[in-house]
Amino acid sequence: MNIQAIKKLVFGILFSSLYQVANAQTFNPLWIPDTMSGTQYNLTIKDTLKQLRTGNQTITGGINNSAFWGPTLIMNTGDTVHMNIKNNLNDTTTLHWHGMHLPAVMDGGPHQTIPPGTIWQPYWKVTNPASTLWYHPHLHEMTLEQISKGVGGLIIVRDAQEASLNIPRKYGVDDFPIVLTSRRYNATTNQFVVQNVSYGDYMLTNGTPDAQVTLPKQMVRLRILNVEIERGYDLGFSDNRTFYIIGNDGGLLNAPVSATKVKLLVGERIEILVNLGADAIGSSFDLMAYNANQAFGFPGGEPATSGQFGSLLNNTNFKVLHINVGATTSNPITSVPVTLANNTYWTAADATINRAISITNGNPGGTPFNFDNASFAINTINKTVQLDAIEKWTVTNNNVFGHTFHIHDVEFKIVARNGSAANVGAHESGWKDVMYVPRNENVSFVAKFNDYADSLHPFMYHCHFSNHEDDGMMGQFVVVNNESTQIKEMQKAIDYSIYPNPSSDKIYLKLENSSTEVYYVTITNANGKTVMMLPQPEMYKGIDISSLSKGIYHVQLMDKKTKSISTKSFFKE
Amino acid sequence: MNSRIILILFIPLLFGLSSFKEKEVKKSVIGKSISKIELLNVDGSMYNIDSIKGAKGFMVVFTCNHCPFAKLYPERLNALHRKFEKLGVPLIAINSMDSIVYEEETFSLMRSKSAESKFEFAYLQDGQQLVGKEFGAEHTPHAFVIWRVENRWVIKYSGAIDNNGEHPELATPYLATVVSELLENKATTLQETESFGCRIFYRK
Repeated sequence: MNIQAIKKLVFGILFSSLYQVANAQTFNPLWIPDTMSGTQYNLTIKDTLKQLRTGNQTITGGINNSAFWGPTLIMNTGDTVHMNIKNNLNDTTTLHWHGMHLPAVMDGGPHQTIPPGTIWQPYWKVTNPASTLWYHPHLHEMTLEQISKGVGGLIIVRDAQEASLNIPRKYGVDDFPIVLTSRRYNATTNQFVVQNVSYGDYMLTNGTPDAQVTLPKQMVRLRILNVEIERGYDLGFSDNRTFYIIGNDGGLLNAPVSATKVKLLVGERIEILVNLGADAIGSSFDLMAYNANQAFGFPGGEPATSGQFGSLLNNTNFKVLHINVGATTSNPITSVPVTLANNTYWTAADATINRAISITNGNPGGTPFNFDNASFAINTINKTVQLDAIEKWTVTNNNVFGHTFHIHDVEFKIVARNGSAANVGAHESGWKDVMYVPRNENVSFVAKFNDYADSLHPFMYHCHFSNHEDDGMMGQFVVVNNESTQIKEMQKAIDYSIYPNPSSDKIYLKLENSSTEVYYVTITNANGKTVMMLPQPEMYKGIDISSLSKGIYHVQLMDKKTKSISTKSFFKE
Repeated sequence: MNSRIILILFIPLLFGLSSFKEKEVKKSVIGKSISKIELLNVDGSMYNIDSIKGAKGFMVVFTCNHCPFAKLYPERLNALHRKFEKLGVPLIAINSMDSIVYEEETFSLMRSKSAESKFEFAYLQDGQQLVGKEFGAEHTPHAFVIWRVENRWVIKYSGAIDNNGEHPELATPYLATVVSELLENKATTLQETESFGCRIFYRK
């Protein structure tokens, strides 16, 4: 080799290594939340800290051992699940089971507030089909702050139909949770900015900044959730590869939908299959947000890079996850099924009640965004729905900006955009509980409000932008069963006794009239602080008081029919 | 509708833990004179700042037992107290947390905390939350410097102890800087920084 050739070679190596340095981006391994499964879930919500940036740690909200975002709960359709929720945050909170069909009193909306140090024990029978649901705080006016801290988690529901399919379902092996959000930081303290902020500046994917993951060379399933404040994502891969949408918010589609881009707005989930079978081991590509040049009104499309409505990630294309291709696992899935489920959806013709909701206000300096010119009021029921009614709701947005609309209790079918079923995207053709309502559009869904009537405790419908929801873009509805709402008898206090008393581990409430149905039991300590909240407890099981410290406690029992309360006391040994 | 009102009374916050947004514009407390501080110390005595002989000023740090951010600071508080007490500026820690809402904040658990964390400074219970309110203490920890000006105690600094909870060696020592400047009769370079930690909720 002559001198010239050596010079060229050296220069070439030097140049290419410099080039690599200039292009090198350091990534952090994607955190995969732990799983919990079975029928009993003990979750302790707490303040904690996480090193997210160089310098100061950030105060975050964790659950059990996590420091930002909680464990993934894996449940089976048909199981009755019991939740034991301890609030060890510095503040009151609530925990809402987003997408789950359950009684309103178990739903964890703004009415089911859990004070610090208090235990809340809802339970329900899982009737949702296989799906990716999630849980998060829903305390009115504090939702943005508490979700921003990272309190929340995914729920994976499994059922026989999904299990019968030849699709990836090994959590963390070929089936990955991908939770997308971003944060703005106080430059001095590294704390999350939660005031006057609509967008973060830096991505957190599963709570990991600049995340990367190694996925096996085969068919891989991603369950993606948008848990932003406002930002939507127009997701796609950096090599523009085709992927297959197999599920929406509420479960599997009837058949996979192929796509190269999909919009995912706040609160929405999508399950996709991505084929890495043709990729070289060691190669890499990115899951991207193609958010540049979106239509006006797309959340995150605004041009500003700072300020309340600006962000470093606005109106730009950016990485949300760096993917490295790793070795194929044993028994890999290599193909996409032709069919997935056999859902029968409601149609507009099924609806017997039509409701119209308008997105109103939101002008700078005026009343914040709300529905039908009425901001959320915790004592106002906005709509009353009959049990088993099939209803069509049309949300009209003749306003300045796009929103997402979420309803509790039910999964719905989007039947029309701007009055036409043809405008509903294939990517949103399954069961949904959140829908994007872009500017200058009206969107209709049909849902059946079955199973759970409760004239007292409401469900919510709201924009899922947490700042909008906190500012009053939320309403509430009760589902009523006419037969049971007519009871307005004299409100005689129900009689009961507590045994054993004193007790060290369990107490039982013996009702004088065995036909009495209990709506709620609250236990307060001698100072009047609520220590346990038990919606519609299963009385025969007794109440586990072993976690309480020694002392006198008061039991307040609310009767389901009359909603009258009677109080008794016991002594914890 | 009566039943709904019952529900509202029945389930939510019995003690008015105020989960409201911090929307109010903060008023600066710099230059404000504060009335006396006389609170119960964990050693069982009443601690009165006016009875501390030779005190030129105090570092007043609002803190608590349960907050994870407050838990990062005991050693630094000891070091600050050790360094400046002999120069006439002791550190006092005040717990203004509501001990009914937070069971970890009772006086007996404050005593345990002080013993376990080997606090070398006074740890005072502000059971009525009056002192915390007067200072406008917002978080645990939230540090203040008060200085004797004629016969008054005047707030000279409000904010963070430093800017790094996890790594003291990397932190800019705000509180120590202010006290050193005051001891040298210099104008302070810092008056207010942002405190961060667990919010202190005041009973209405």
